[in-house]
Amino acid sequence: MLLNKESSGSRWRVRPDGQDKVSGRLQYLTDMSAEGMLTGRVLRAQQAHARILSIDTTAALAAPGVHAVITHKDVPGLNGFGIALPHQPVFCSDRVRYTGDAIAAIAAESDAEAEYALSLIRVEYETLPLLEDAEEAMKPEAVLLHEEGNVLHHTEYRRGEPEPAFRECAHVVEETYFTPRQMHTYMETEGGLFIPEDNGRLTVYSATQHGLMDRRQLSRILALPEEDIRVVSSPIGGSFGGKDELNVQPYGALLALRTRKPVRLHNSRYESVRAGLKRHPMKITMKTGCDREGNLVAHKVRIISDTGAYATLGAEVLNFATEHVVGPYRIPHVEVEGFAVYTNNGVSGEFRGFGGNQAIFALEGQVDRLAERLGLDPWELRRRNLRQYGDPGPLGQPIAQTHGAVQVWEALKASALLRAPETAEVPETAAEDNGKRAEEKRPPWIVTGTGAALAMHGAGLGYGIPDPAGGRLVLALDGKIEAVFGYEEFGQGLIATMEQMLVEQFGFAADDLRIIIGDTDVVPDSGSSTASRSTSMMWMALQRLRPEFTAELLEKAASSAGEPAGNLQLGPGGVWRREGGLLISYTELARGLKEPLVCQTVFHYPTTPQPRVGAHFLYTYSAIAVRVELNLLTGRVRITDQYHVVAAGPVANPQGYLGQIEGGSSMAVGFTLSEDAVMAGGAYVTKNMDTYLVPTIIDMNGRIQVEAIEDLPEHDTYGPRGIGEIGSVHLAPAVAAAIFQAVRKRVNKLPVEPELLQETLFTTQKAVNSYAG
Amino acid sequence: METMGAIQDGPLFTPALRQPRSLREAWELKSGLGDRAVYVSGGTLLRTQWEAGTAAVPQVLIDLRKIAGMGDMIEAEGYLTAGSLVTLAACRSSSALASAGPAAAEAARQIAAPAVRNLATLGGNIASGYGDMLPALLVHDAEIAVYDGEFLSVQPVEAWLERRWSGSVPPGELVAGIRLPRRETGGARLAICRKVGRREAFTASLVTAALAADWDAGSRTLRGVRLAAGGGSGRPQRLAAAEALLEDAELTHGLLGAVYEAVESGFASYDDPFASEAYKQKTAGNLIAAELWRLLESE
Repeated sequence: MLLNKESSGSRWRVRPDGQDKVSGRLQYLTDMSAEGMLTGRVLRAQQAHARILSIDTTAALAAPGVHAVITHKDVPGLNGFGIALPHQPVFCSDRVRYTGDAIAAIAAESDAEAEYALSLIRVEYETLPLLEDAEEAMKPEAVLLHEEGNVLHHTEYRRGEPEPAFRECAHVVEETYFTPRQMHTYMETEGGLFIPEDNGRLTVYSATQHGLMDRRQLSRILALPEEDIRVVSSPIGGSFGGKDELNVQPYGALLALRTRKPVRLHNSRYESVRAGLKRHPMKITMKTGCDREGNLVAHKVRIISDTGAYATLGAEVLNFATEHVVGPYRIPHVEVEGFAVYTNNGVSGEFRGFGGNQAIFALEGQVDRLAERLGLDPWELRRRNLRQYGDPGPLGQPIAQTHGAVQVWEALKASALLRAPETAEVPETAAEDNGKRAEEKRPPWIVTGTGAALAMHGAGLGYGIPDPAGGRLVLALDGKIEAVFGYEEFGQGLIATMEQMLVEQFGFAADDLRIIIGDTDVVPDSGSSTASRSTSMMWMALQRLRPEFTAELLEKAASSAGEPAGNLQLGPGGVWRREGGLLISYTELARGLKEPLVCQTVFHYPTTPQPRVGAHFLYTYSAIAVRVELNLLTGRVRITDQYHVVAAGPVANPQGYLGQIEGGSSMAVGFTLSEDAVMAGGAYVTKNMDTYLVPTIIDMNGRIQVEAIEDLPEHDTYGPRGIGEIGSVHLAPAVAAAIFQAVRKRVNKLPVEPELLQETLFTTQKAVNSYAG
Repeated sequence: METMGAIQDGPLFTPALRQPRSLREAWELKSGLGDRAVYVSGGTLLRTQWEAGTAAVPQVLIDLRKIAGMGDMIEAEGYLTAGSLVTLAACRSSSALASAGPAAAEAARQIAAPAVRNLATLGGNIASGYGDMLPALLVHDAEIAVYDGEFLSVQPVEAWLERRWSGSVPPGELVAGIRLPRRETGGARLAICRKVGRREAFTASLVTAALAADWDAGSRTLRGVRLAAGGGSGRPQRLAAAEALLEDAELTHGLLGAVYEAVESGFASYDDPFASEAYKQKTAGNLIAAELWRLLESE
């Protein structure tokens, strides 16, 4: 089904948090203030790699308006954070490893006073050799950034015997692919409000993708019991993985506890660029061989991932990439080796796609190159090697079986873009100039091409990583139906999807509901809002809760109204007779309660039984075709048409689904064409959004269509699969394929460099007409 | 590492604001305060420099926006005159500019984004020395009105650029406005400006190329040919060798290669972290040759 407003009918609902967001009325956590609050600021390292000889805060402490200046000496608990490995110093004591490292923090009465005091802190450094390149950092003579070595994580996967198998191959292609240091570029930069409560507790209003994880990390740092910390974490102005790790929270919390006053921190865009996470730049070398018939035989991969100064989720991202460089293809002989390597560059971490984007760009590039060698249609080559129902996952692990890979392949094959790209250009949703463009004869320097790619993308955290799930349904004493979950709303539409599920599955009206998320004092541990997992987990939780919660409500209604429960059903506003007519409203029903009526479920995200850390069990499948227009005068590429086919089970929320695919694809357009956080000498060259260029609406004025394949095998019990990332992972290789079709040039480095594609059309030797032929 | 430190050393104070009512008063303020003060109107470029730490926030801002008459566009005596305070948004929508300086109007359309264009001024774009309006003004034979503390005088854009880039413009000198000759020649005057950045909109220019000429369709000849290019923070420049190839010559497909090569080799730009000088040179050559090709094809 082509997913859009028309095809969705009444399922296309107005988003409950939409109006406040688009009107600007919604108060984000960084919009909050408190009486008597102070401004917090952080002093970041002036060098990317240096020994700290001394830190002198005397002058800053004496500056006007300053209430506290804190350093590593003022951390009562663990001076470190990190979701997977808490070794990133809250404050550096003896060494800095990147220019986002924190050395001190200040709380002052005004921004200007905080800023001034910051300039008075004297730090003496002894410069150390800079590691800017991951492969340099792997050399034995390289200076060690961490005692355990410069390799944070090493992965290996092997099946068959690739080396001898290559000798039997009819065609072998070797290529090295490079991907950029992409920035999340959320609209709301990191920040929050930190309030020390009278009862000794601390309230943290600050964005995260997992409030309970922040609470745990802060508890370690502050040496405060977890129960004494309340983390309120939604709503969030965008995250995309970038706010899952701690950022300003340790500083706000420490300053608030020290001064006993509310403290507000909010990163400028400059500080956000400097200290914030980015997508791992990867260098992926692949050697891939096939036989004469186009059956893939052997595949050898080496991944070098620049993880920056500290771990955060660098190991997990590498695990993901290691799995996804094998992808949805049957290849008997595989050898993958990956290294996540420390450097003095900005810290790389979690980002939508989670290592899949880099892996899939490389893998799909190999398939296209082999198709060229074979003289075969690239889509046909994919068919010959595509995984089938029953096949194990990319690492040989048991996975939830669906027909997703074949389904998306077939649906894309049938799409207008692959059947007849030239006639597929219908400018209905594109910007107005497209209409004119179609009428005009294209000048000879505008060439077009079509390309396609396919991906399977894992969801959930994977084997061996705690991945709790659960939630609570409550009939509250005021008659509201409360859905209480530990998820976060960062724009992805989680609240809207929850509302839609409750309305559609239980029969409630939207007005009956109160959705409570993002407050660690209230919510159960539902796990993180990451890894395309929240929608699946909400759906599974409601499946578990529905029989019990429905029965309890009906029984209460039956006993208070004297009708058999079997004659009753849930409906909008209250419990209804099956033959029609409202029996009792939820408000009336609640009046008879002494305690709220509560149903709770606790479970774990489904994982593969094979003990391979990080290996996935649930996957979303997608295929994409794009059409590009390439201007040979400038070498610049415009994406005029995108067709996404997504097999992710039932569509839980059509508007949210479409929004995720479109939004994901716009991030992929940036990844492919313009975004790169360039570093030199350990410092960002792209310090702000005037040089770090995300796509604008003009860059995104091509058509985007999304076809959703909803059916799952009958035995499937996992429901809707995640779609938060799949729209962002395969556009790059499809664009590279389209470019190749247009100009026969292979792109192996992102973002695509216009210099590679620019032509000299007018020379004294060659006039344009002869080129255009 | 210097600029990294500057990120923290942002404004520690609010600069004082002075709002002179005349050019004379503005000039006197600047002369008295020297480096401690800067002229400002929209402030859109300056604030990016302050934020980036590439320029210090001055103690005093001399806000020019209260000077009467500098925000007007007037057609008189064979000229279109535009004051420095005319916003880029106004340049973009002005029918007078579209008529007297179509390449300049087109340049304004491609600068930044609406919120910036509503504040940013023509004078600020020029005074930077590298604004995207300048290549277009060069091909329109525009003149810049400058105020030196005593006299308001006009000088060709090219001469002003020469002074600006050789550092011989005194710090107090003000760009008061521009004037464009209203040409009354026979035949259609071609005037085009093309910009290439790193994305489709709201991006700094890598290359901005402009072209103006009188086209005699009968003889297929260009006269009064003006070609110019700039981009980024590079110097906007006339492309004299390419102009000479085209002037009074019959335009043929065969000539395009020579024009391309003259532009490519004549355009002095620079390498930056995102594009090489060679790319910019090729782009300038391609953009200009492509417009000439269109002209030939349209016949």
